[in-house]
Amino acid sequence: MPQPLNAKENALFRQVIRNYEDKQYKRGLKAAEQILKKNPKHGDTMAMKALIMNQQGKTEEAFALGKEALTADMKSHICWHVYGLLYRHQKNYEEAIKAYKFALKLEPDSHQIQRDLAFLQVQMRDYQGYIQSRASMLQARPQVRQNWTALAVAHHLSGDLAQAEKVLTTYEESLKTPPSKTDYENSEAVMYKNSIIAEMGDYEKALTHLESIAKHNLDRLAVMESRAQYLAKLGRKDEAVKAYRALLDRNSEHPDYYNKLIETTELDPNDLAARKAVYDEYAKKNPRCDAAKRLPLDFLTGDDFREAAKAYLTLMLDKGVPSTFANLKHLYGDSSKKETLGALAQEYLDEKKASPEAEKPAGDGAPKGEPAGLYYLAQHYNYRLSRDLAKAMEFVNKGIELVPNSVEFHMTKARIWKHYGNTKKAAETMDQARNLDLKDRYINTKAAKYQLRNNESETALKTMALFTRNDSPGGPLSDLLDMQSVWYLTEDGEAAVRSGNIALALKRFHSVYNIFDVWQEDQFDFHSFSLRKGQIRAYVDMVRWEDHLREHPFYTRASLGAIAAYIGMFDGRKMANGLNGSADVNGEDAAERKKAAKKAKKEAQKAEREAAEKAAKQDPNKAKAGSTEPVKKDDDPNGLRYLATAEPLVEATKFLAPILQFSPKSIDGQIAGFEVYIRREKYLLALRCLNAALAIDATNPTVHEQVVRFRQELDSKLASLPSKVTEVLKSEFKAIEASADLKAYNAEFLEKHKDSASHVISAIKTRKLLGEDAEQCEKDLNNVLSLASIDYETAAEALSLFMQWRSSGADAFKKASHEKWPEVTLFAS
Amino acid sequence: MDIRRLEPRDLPLIQHANLENLPENYFMKYYLYHALSWPQLSYVAVDVSRPPRTPYDYPKIVGYVLAKMEEEPSDGVPHGHITSLSVMRTHRRLGIAEKLMRQSQLAMVETFGARYVSLHVRVSNRAAIHLYTKTLGFDQEKTETKYYADGEDAFCMRLDLTPIRDQIPDQNGDDAAEEAGEDEGEPVGDAGKAEGGGLPSRPKEQLRKVKVGRALGVQGLVEKDESKHS
Repeated sequence: MPQPLNAKENALFRQVIRNYEDKQYKRGLKAAEQILKKNPKHGDTMAMKALIMNQQGKTEEAFALGKEALTADMKSHICWHVYGLLYRHQKNYEEAIKAYKFALKLEPDSHQIQRDLAFLQVQMRDYQGYIQSRASMLQARPQVRQNWTALAVAHHLSGDLAQAEKVLTTYEESLKTPPSKTDYENSEAVMYKNSIIAEMGDYEKALTHLESIAKHNLDRLAVMESRAQYLAKLGRKDEAVKAYRALLDRNSEHPDYYNKLIETTELDPNDLAARKAVYDEYAKKNPRCDAAKRLPLDFLTGDDFREAAKAYLTLMLDKGVPSTFANLKHLYGDSSKKETLGALAQEYLDEKKASPEAEKPAGDGAPKGEPAGLYYLAQHYNYRLSRDLAKAMEFVNKGIELVPNSVEFHMTKARIWKHYGNTKKAAETMDQARNLDLKDRYINTKAAKYQLRNNESETALKTMALFTRNDSPGGPLSDLLDMQSVWYLTEDGEAAVRSGNIALALKRFHSVYNIFDVWQEDQFDFHSFSLRKGQIRAYVDMVRWEDHLREHPFYTRASLGAIAAYIGMFDGRKMANGLNGSADVNGEDAAERKKAAKKAKKEAQKAEREAAEKAAKQDPNKAKAGSTEPVKKDDDPNGLRYLATAEPLVEATKFLAPILQFSPKSIDGQIAGFEVYIRREKYLLALRCLNAALAIDATNPTVHEQVVRFRQELDSKLASLPSKVTEVLKSEFKAIEASADLKAYNAEFLEKHKDSASHVISAIKTRKLLGEDAEQCEKDLNNVLSLASIDYETAAEALSLFMQWRSSGADAFKKASHEKWPEVTLFAS
Repeated sequence: MDIRRLEPRDLPLIQHANLENLPENYFMKYYLYHALSWPQLSYVAVDVSRPPRTPYDYPKIVGYVLAKMEEEPSDGVPHGHITSLSVMRTHRRLGIAEKLMRQSQLAMVETFGARYVSLHVRVSNRAAIHLYTKTLGFDQEKTETKYYADGEDAFCMRLDLTPIRDQIPDQNGDDAAEEAGEDEGEPVGDAGKAEGGGLPSRPKEQLRKVKVGRALGVQGLVEKDESKHS
């Protein structure tokens, strides 16, 4: 029950609410104080004051006061509502939902509370709760169509498609006059209903329904695509063919339409000529269409392929299309097509060279054919499946001779250096390319990326700054963060790892992690916005995408970087402790951490000082208007606080969990999971990762080493584990028998894979682990250089193993590698 | 290459392409705002030929057009606007930008009754200006000084969509769509004539205005974007 106030204070209280809504926080606070002076325990006023303080950025004080308000007046819906708002502001939606539910119990008719609660529920995917909320909102206002659609969406997302359809139909039947033809909300709602019927698999009904609404629907493409799909599913071939043809007339660059057209036409799959004829027809109809000319190359073989490929190559190279190779390289998986394309390009070039007179174009500037041919061949020999870097370099240099200012040739040259492993020359050459077109951000981006690959973080940021907005106090980096430049943050983090700056690396990986949090958070406003806009299908698509947002390779890559860094941190500390002897558990490790924490604090103070100075220098006239929100500043720009963590493995697990949940088929994720869990002595979880990795690729060299380590660890720890755990471990770990001789097992693995450098390295690593002769291990590791299968990347792995062993053999190995691969930057320094 | 409508799951790589190619960037919510307000208008070009590197690879976006309807057109005429268009340098000269634009323009007319489409382009961007004026037929309306954050001027361009309006019925080959097209075509033309001045009289526009008048949770995005250009 709200505590009563006298008339004057009641007016004041209303003013507080008004002030809050108008963002007049100072005034609101003053009025609240006035009330509290006479009624110090007035819950509602305390709650409103807390809310205002929260808006001013005083989160902790606001929470304390919000709690106090609740103790003063447990029965006030305002107090609970505010409590819920405070939690929502903190993004603690679970607690917010609880508070809102209390508020709603006290004030069941509050539309505002019900609404807020509903959106929290859908954000948290509490679909049963959401259905309830939407049902009561519908009951309160059945005349609003949005409320019907919203309830249908709630059922749909919860998986009850039939109920969703029923709700939509009930509303349609209640309409006395048909909606206008141009009523967007109606047009979308009926298409939404149609998509639900199709999702239930009843294509007959979906088609009938679609035919009844098709005439006036505003989403013409969706109508056409759905219709074609239903007709095909229902086996109504002639109509389906017609429908797909109509779609191709509309967009002849969508391969799926061709596939479906051919499928429904029931062409003999072996009659390639008939298939090609379909594409030829559209190539003729649309002279500028690329798909119709190129797609037949996917299925044609032999001479037919050669003929079609020649026509396509000639056409593209004559026009000087630089993306010709990018458009064809997927065919290289087929070795005969790969050979043919390479030969055709060479033929093309030879012909052009033989008759340079024909090259003179009619007033259209420089010749196109020869450079295009050279460009194609440079890329051809630079590509993984047809690589011959010396030849690639030859072609690219000829190209540069011919067109000295070509960004494309320089860019390709940089890529060739990259494949040589020469990150230094790659970065330099890409920067030359950048200088040839200073207005193009694409080449600028590539230059920065190559600088990062060469561990030149500072230079790279300067390059980036040529295109970022640099007027904020945080400079270019803050623009990159604001604009969620995941690629830059990830590459910079990886460069920091290579340079040994783990703190900064963690800083970058955490910022990627935070961007994904923001992306998840971003959907919140759309729960209400989309209903108002009426775009329901797109909204449902968005919700489903957000459900597995973190399966994105962007997330996995940055997180694997963070996990590896945290594991390295854990191992480093453990080793330091081990060297000091176990008696001194808090010795070096704790001292290190203290030092890092101290440094972090110092940096924070410095950052604060600098920010204050900067703010003081700023022209007050130029201050941003309406900057009521406190400006966020980073008081740990170098990530030292991350480095100071007491629990690196707990941090690592935070990054790991979404990978295991959303990308279980990522072998790197499972491998990382094992490494984290075995260190945390969570053996069941470690085993789950190990078994998952084995199921993905049982021959993976790292997995082999993990299997042996797990057996070894179990042999020493099994006795100390609870009997239930041991039981599961015994029955689920089948990769190696408990009685097996691990050394023999490892030797067998080595013998089986003795030609594969990375497997040999893994076996040698395992031998060392099993306590075999260290000197012999180093000698054998050195010998991997003479394996036929070794490449410089695998040699780099061996080198890092030498370093990990802190072996004196590292230098010699590096030197030998440098002799073998003189271009590789990593071995040169 | 595959040219198709944008889907929400494409957004991270669209944002990535934008960051690689253009100086005008946006955070995710702004892309969501487009994708969820006018899902019919934005298109992507996907490199379908890339061999996958992980089981979780997303379609590689090599070009996109991010488009919208003007929420509160100052001239009262419903029209589309191109927020951002770019094609990776590695995939230029395949006609991708043009194809993306044409799909978007068609949808602007069909779904939202757009009369024209407008855009801004840097005065120094010769390739883009060529595409807009020569290939797509845009008219150069005026110059807006210091439109971009770095102080560069912008050309304001617009393209009359009447030809697309007129050609819609025969664009759709199959019978059902053809009928629909004709039916739809008539009243639109009449309404336009009845008004005389070429101002829109379709009830939809009014409906949309009502919606716009309300406080939209995502509306802040519009302001944020414009502040980028101020």
